[in-house]
Amino acid sequence: MAISPGSGPETTTNDDRPETDSETDDGAETDGRTGAGDETEAEGGAGAEPSADTRAESEGGLESETAPAAETGTRSARADGTLVWPARYVREHLVHSGVLLFLALYPGIYTLLVNSPLRSELLAVLPEIETMVAVFYFGLFAMSFDFISGYTGYLDFGHAVFYGIGAYVVLLVATGKVPLLPAETPFVLVLVLAGLLAVVFAVLIGAVSFRLTGVYFAMITLGFGQVVYVFVRGWDYVGSNPRDGIAVSERSGFEIGVPFVDSLDLAIGQLTGDELSVLAIELSTTEVSYYMVGLVVVICYFAMQRIIHSPFGRVMIAIRENEQRAAAIGYNTFRYKLGAFAISGFFAAIAGGLFAGFRRTATPDNAFFFLVTGDALLAAIIGGFGTLAGPLYGRLFDEGVREFLSKAGEGGGLLPYLREHLSEAVLGTELLGGMTVQGAIETFLNGHASLYIGALFVLFVLFVPDGLLGTIRARLGGPVGKCLPDRAGEYVPERFERYWKGLER
Amino acid sequence: MTFLLTVTIATEVVSLVSELSPLLASGFGLRSPAALAFFPDVTLVALGDALASFLQPVNLFDVFLNGLAKSALYVMIAVGLTLIFGLMGVLNFAHGSFTMIGAYLGGLILVLTVTGTTGGLARIGLFFVGVLVVFGVLAVLGGVLEISLIRPLYDRSPVYQILLTFGLTLVLDELVRIIVSLYGLQPISDWQNAFGTRPAFIARSLDFGPVDVPGLALFQIAFGVVTVGAVWAFLTRTRYGLIVRAGSEDAEMTEALGIDVRRVFTVVFALGAGIAGVAGVLLMWDPVWGASVPLAAETLLPAFVVVIVGGLGTFRGTVVAGILVGMVDAVMTWWFQNAISFTGLPQITIFLILVIVLIARPQGLFGVEGVGGH
Repeated sequence: MAISPGSGPETTTNDDRPETDSETDDGAETDGRTGAGDETEAEGGAGAEPSADTRAESEGGLESETAPAAETGTRSARADGTLVWPARYVREHLVHSGVLLFLALYPGIYTLLVNSPLRSELLAVLPEIETMVAVFYFGLFAMSFDFISGYTGYLDFGHAVFYGIGAYVVLLVATGKVPLLPAETPFVLVLVLAGLLAVVFAVLIGAVSFRLTGVYFAMITLGFGQVVYVFVRGWDYVGSNPRDGIAVSERSGFEIGVPFVDSLDLAIGQLTGDELSVLAIELSTTEVSYYMVGLVVVICYFAMQRIIHSPFGRVMIAIRENEQRAAAIGYNTFRYKLGAFAISGFFAAIAGGLFAGFRRTATPDNAFFFLVTGDALLAAIIGGFGTLAGPLYGRLFDEGVREFLSKAGEGGGLLPYLREHLSEAVLGTELLGGMTVQGAIETFLNGHASLYIGALFVLFVLFVPDGLLGTIRARLGGPVGKCLPDRAGEYVPERFERYWKGLER
Repeated sequence: MTFLLTVTIATEVVSLVSELSPLLASGFGLRSPAALAFFPDVTLVALGDALASFLQPVNLFDVFLNGLAKSALYVMIAVGLTLIFGLMGVLNFAHGSFTMIGAYLGGLILVLTVTGTTGGLARIGLFFVGVLVVFGVLAVLGGVLEISLIRPLYDRSPVYQILLTFGLTLVLDELVRIIVSLYGLQPISDWQNAFGTRPAFIARSLDFGPVDVPGLALFQIAFGVVTVGAVWAFLTRTRYGLIVRAGSEDAEMTEALGIDVRRVFTVVFALGAGIAGVAGVLLMWDPVWGASVPLAAETLLPAFVVVIVGGLGTFRGTVVAGILVGMVDAVMTWWFQNAISFTGLPQITIFLILVIVLIARPQGLFGVEGVGGH
């Protein structure tokens, strides 16, 4: 099924119009723009989706328009000459750039703040760099989960299969257990291979599962996931005790960069990674891992974002909003679902591979178990279901709370802070039934983050069903990357307005 | 008469297989390639021998009885889930946690009341006191949770109910973990003291001629049969059961007839949670399960399998699927113990049943398409 060729020029005309013009969009739908038609339709129909969200998407941008903007921008260069596409590109990516800049500077900011007078307070609150690496790779997994579940509406409870495949392929290759692939095969190559294997699995599982919908789909994927999980748990090829998973001891650090060129890649891992000094800045192994893992995640994010903004992504959203209608228009929804599933499996495997590469070990329970998918679900809901970047923020929130409330993260957190700052007298005070304050702190803060995460999650489901990013989007009335620059434009001083407006369409 | 016939046929097959198996092996002179891939140390000969041994009447009877006991447990675990789903279309992820709480609560009651000198019948009596208390407590807990948390979500898409109950699981499991470790117990390992409260005739095997019957299995079968009977009677013989069935069929119509469906929802949710708790009390005495925090996830997944295989929301389907899954589990456990050294064999087959049934009959064995809002 080919995608309507009319979509190109029409997107251009859409861009000419002011943002609030989504009603006229509807008119345009009738003559051929199909995917978006369903979304706008569903705006009235499906109550569960935030209306702002759907409206925003029918206007043609989520976080911001990446390539379509650039593409159509050149074609529709304005007669008045104010719009130059690189400028527009910059404007559309202001928020992206801001976030990326912040993330790039974060290790520096962290070091600075942690050495400031407010040291212990900040140490307790700020997530460590190591935690941030975990946020990156798991955030990528959560994004890939959102890619299939949030955008096509098919809840995949067996998504951990792909994450596990990624992790296990990397570790099996590294321990020399995969024929034809030596242990020192470049990590990036193995990542891609793992992704391709996940694609094969996704096609096999999807071909069967996508005959079902709703709860049944969730359950059959859960079934497949558990079959794989139980199999891996008893698969003694990986080692004498398959329940303990695989650990890599011999291979040097997993390097991210250009394969076979030693000077163009950097190894990740806390003990085995590379250190780097650029100019006067010394980067520790963890910080190098932070940047390299982050780099891969950012590339994957933009790839997925591009797909969602392509006509293919439109059909995915159309399937979520009203599958029968998408099928009636002539799309072979089965193929689109399968394709989306394969893509999402690919990125999930990349995430799993990064996890394995950084930790150098994985077990069936932290790679294949259905609760791993549950964690991704948590991140996706907290961050915003059906917003691609949302799950990353969701995971950041999740990990942040975990680290703050339990001593899972070695450095910071509330527990060491309280231990350090409460006086002996306070700590020794008896509460109920002979339990001292110290005892209560130890009991309730030591490793019980799931309790608070669970409670927060329940509150989110009840009161913030759109998640962090989804709610902000609803407030702004559109994707953050699109609306924030518009809002900001109102506050630009008059004499600079010319430059700002120059960036405007 | 029929029994005799079965036995003769079985013995015939046994002799046939044992004659055939060396023939098969020598004739082909190879190890089965399929078996090679997954279970390297299994040969066709060994498989043939194992089959011969499996088909011996004593073993078959053992497996059958074990299967019935497992079936009873699976039905117990899943009945509450199916009631809730059938009426409200809520796939309750917190179901396993209710079972786990029930196991701990029941264990607590028994550990506190049973002393070394308590007689066997008195222990059974206390067990049923525990069952009643746990049912009451969990029904109240379920009712409160339904009113406070799930009720606001009925007009949203069903995904949110899954999500909410999933979050609930995290909270409940972690709370139990905190409380349990506060009393110096290991949350991840089975509660040994609870095993200790079993009466003697349940803990050992009863001798019936050629076969040994575990007392626990008989107890579980009896308990399962009574529960299924009670729920069936409630659904078909009482007025409230009629209302529940009407509500599952068409909630709007039932409401139009002047019935407060919301209240029925609460009652059924409480009932489902209560039964889940009772299942937990039963599991607490079973060494395979035992009271521990991971019990929540261990029971949730089979419960899903049973409910889905039977057809979401049909009571009859759940009972049949429970028996099916229980039997398959028992058979596979026997094969794992005697022939195939693959640890995950019973579990993997259970999930394979789920996958195969969903492929062949997406609505489940007894399910009607479209019931339960999906």
